[in-house]
Amino acid sequence: MTPNLHLAHISDVLLTWAVFVYAFAMFGYAAEFAATRRLQAKPPVDGEVGVGESKRAKRVGVAAVALSVIGWGFHLSSVITRAAAVHRVPWGNMYEFSVMVTLVAVTIYLVLLVGRESVRFLGAFLMAPVVLYLGLAGTVLYAAPGPLVPALNSYWIKIHVVAAITATGAFMVSGVVTVLYLLKERWERGQPPLRGLLLRRLRSQPQVSLGPGTAAVAELSAKRSGLMNSLPSSERLDRLAYRVITFAFPVWTFAIIAGAIWAEQAWSRYWGWDPKETWSFITWLGYAAYLHARATAGWRGRRAAMLSLIAFGALMVDYYVVNTVITGLHSYAGVS
Amino acid sequence: MTVVDEGTTDQLSTQPERPTMPNRGGLLVGLRALWRYFTSMRTALLLLALLAVAAIPGTVLPQRGLDPVKVNDYIASHPQLGPFFDKLYLFDVFAAPWFVLIFALLFVSIVGCVVPRIRLHAKALRRRPPNAPRNLSKLRAATEWTTTESPAAVAERVRRHLRDARWRADIRAESDGAVTVAAEKGYLRETGNLVFHIALLLLLLGIAVGTAFGYKGTVLKQQRETFANGREAYDVFQPSRWFYSDSELSPFSFRLDRFSASYDASNGEPTDFHAVVAYQASPTAPSKPYDIRVNHPLNTGDAKVFLVGHGYSMDLRITNKYGVVVSDGDVPFLPDTAQFLSHGVLKVPHLNVDGKDRPHPGQLGLTGFFFPTAAVTPSGQLTSSFPGLNNPVLQLAAFKGDLGFSTGIPQSVYSLDVSKLKEIDQTTLKPGQSWKLSDGSTVKFVGIHQWATFQVAHQPGKTTVLVAAILIIAGLLGSLRVRRRRFWIRAVPVTGSGGTQSTVIQAAGLARTDVGGFVDELDELTKQLGRPTERD
Repeated sequence: MTPNLHLAHISDVLLTWAVFVYAFAMFGYAAEFAATRRLQAKPPVDGEVGVGESKRAKRVGVAAVALSVIGWGFHLSSVITRAAAVHRVPWGNMYEFSVMVTLVAVTIYLVLLVGRESVRFLGAFLMAPVVLYLGLAGTVLYAAPGPLVPALNSYWIKIHVVAAITATGAFMVSGVVTVLYLLKERWERGQPPLRGLLLRRLRSQPQVSLGPGTAAVAELSAKRSGLMNSLPSSERLDRLAYRVITFAFPVWTFAIIAGAIWAEQAWSRYWGWDPKETWSFITWLGYAAYLHARATAGWRGRRAAMLSLIAFGALMVDYYVVNTVITGLHSYAGVS
Repeated sequence: MTVVDEGTTDQLSTQPERPTMPNRGGLLVGLRALWRYFTSMRTALLLLALLAVAAIPGTVLPQRGLDPVKVNDYIASHPQLGPFFDKLYLFDVFAAPWFVLIFALLFVSIVGCVVPRIRLHAKALRRRPPNAPRNLSKLRAATEWTTTESPAAVAERVRRHLRDARWRADIRAESDGAVTVAAEKGYLRETGNLVFHIALLLLLLGIAVGTAFGYKGTVLKQQRETFANGREAYDVFQPSRWFYSDSELSPFSFRLDRFSASYDASNGEPTDFHAVVAYQASPTAPSKPYDIRVNHPLNTGDAKVFLVGHGYSMDLRITNKYGVVVSDGDVPFLPDTAQFLSHGVLKVPHLNVDGKDRPHPGQLGLTGFFFPTAAVTPSGQLTSSFPGLNNPVLQLAAFKGDLGFSTGIPQSVYSLDVSKLKEIDQTTLKPGQSWKLSDGSTVKFVGIHQWATFQVAHQPGKTTVLVAAILIIAGLLGSLRVRRRRFWIRAVPVTGSGGTQSTVIQAAGLARTDVGGFVDELDELTKQLGRPTERD
């Protein structure tokens, strides 16, 4: 069946709207974040002013959540209209895959918001990569609406690819949380969030010695990064990242296994060390290492978090580099 | 509030708790220390990382298992590095001794971790839940309330409630008249953890069986041709290491009745392939039709038959100058581009027979290019602009001379060695047209058919692999999503000022894993057990 170009166009427009609304939501979250930070930095002169400011900040935050939900609605509508336009599942090429992954990431965030934990702080930090991803998807990776290549024409696309999308979206959320964890953990240890920052300051202030002057450095960094103050404790961030990964990891495992079953039907073998398979396996090993590290003395915390980020890096290689640079059997990117 | 964390081997760890061993000194201690180091989580972590890093070159460099031609090209274009990489098995990463070694070490490490843990877990399953700590109020979400029931009655009621909620619960009486209920839940976590790791071992076993005893082969079939499973019938046959006898090939056969491909008219992308075959599971079995498609292999005997490629074949009839037909039939042309610009060769070793069994010297070779939808490039060259047969044109060149069969060297049916041949004629043909060569023979382009290539694969151990995979998922879900937690109450009899008897119930819990929500669960649980809430 030929694609419905009119509907496909509507889908594209809806996605553009989603990106804009998400971007506004991001600014809203950032504004709330900044306001909270100012509030904490300024010693409360009298209670009322403080409360008033926090109320306003909260209002901005709630507005950002509302914008996120609206953006999510556009995002979802874009996916649905795309599916209707191409008469098939809307995840047949890299553009559609990216749109789905970000949809999953935002959905997970919204689900977490509904849940007990307060995760609104995550908004600003999650919306940034989501907007980036979608921008990349809509420009570089964009694929004109069309039918599936025969190799993808199987009901396994509904199982294997959905699992891969879900896991990737969740890993994206855990990746953002993990970065925040590393920053916060560093800050809690009295180190400024970025090494470069520290070095520059030390050079410009030679009176601060590197060795016993740690207290001075700590004081200095505490002053600089009120931003870090408004993040939840590193322990909470760590737990949140772990929770999301314990959801994503079995889903990822399932995606690999479902892919193997499909490969057995399509390519006559369930595992052939195709680059996509190999990088999925590397990603799996990375997250397995993270889960083990979290239970190993001396690896818990920062080093485990680094492993989780390395695993996420492998996932990104699996997704971007394997699809576009390395030729393999999974060459459905639709990018030429 | 401090959270007492009993033991840190609570996560996904397969690390056995360190047993204290009697010191016997000497070699045994050394070995034991080595073994302990080897089965430690740190080593498992190292091996996981090592395996991941070791796999990377296999995706960056071409691999023999995936594309041997590319490997040869790489070595040819990198005369220094190529052979060096080859010595390091970098073109066969996944079969390299060092890769297999890491895999083997990882699995030995898993065995070393899992075996003692199975014992410990079996013990834990039989053991009563550990008794309540002396001071419950120090634990997370500790609460207490007072009731008029006797301690024994409270304990019995709590035990029953917990058992209904599938806790393992156990009553103990203490010397001062207090009664405790100790309960534990979430044993499935460790069970899942063990199942996951054992399933990994099972998976490896299944894969090993598959690579040791399977076979695969590819074969090109023209329409109306029959394939009967047998080593000789394949174009390429790859037995596995321990596949030893041809009698293990299941005796199925199939005939390719029709092949069709359809393409998206706008861009030439393929939309569908069909190979309609008639197959027999054994020579005596009835013939059945089957439609082999991508993602839809034929399952017969112990093997699966996959459609892996297709192309056009030219139906050519060669008549020599005496009017004798010396060659008649489909010549497969191999596709070179996505638009199916294809090339092919026809060799006629005995051209000039006159039908009276009197061979004359004279060999004919034809090379050709086929354009399913012929078009002319801006530079004036003929090309194909679409994979379907919209404007089929066959370009042929005829050679006479020595085809080189007398040398005895096996040669490809898809290439012509022109070193001892002389080109005599060239032409382009449309289906149905004939071409008279200068030596008096005729080439008739009768028509176009299609061929298909099939891969036959037999991979034993697949069921084992599938079962292992399912167990891996189940085990993972258990080990990551189930929380191991303990709950205690202590019912303490209190005599009030007026001699009234009442019971103070202290309750607290301990989560051994940090998936959230435990405090809320405890809150809910104690509420159900009769703790008055603020609103009451």
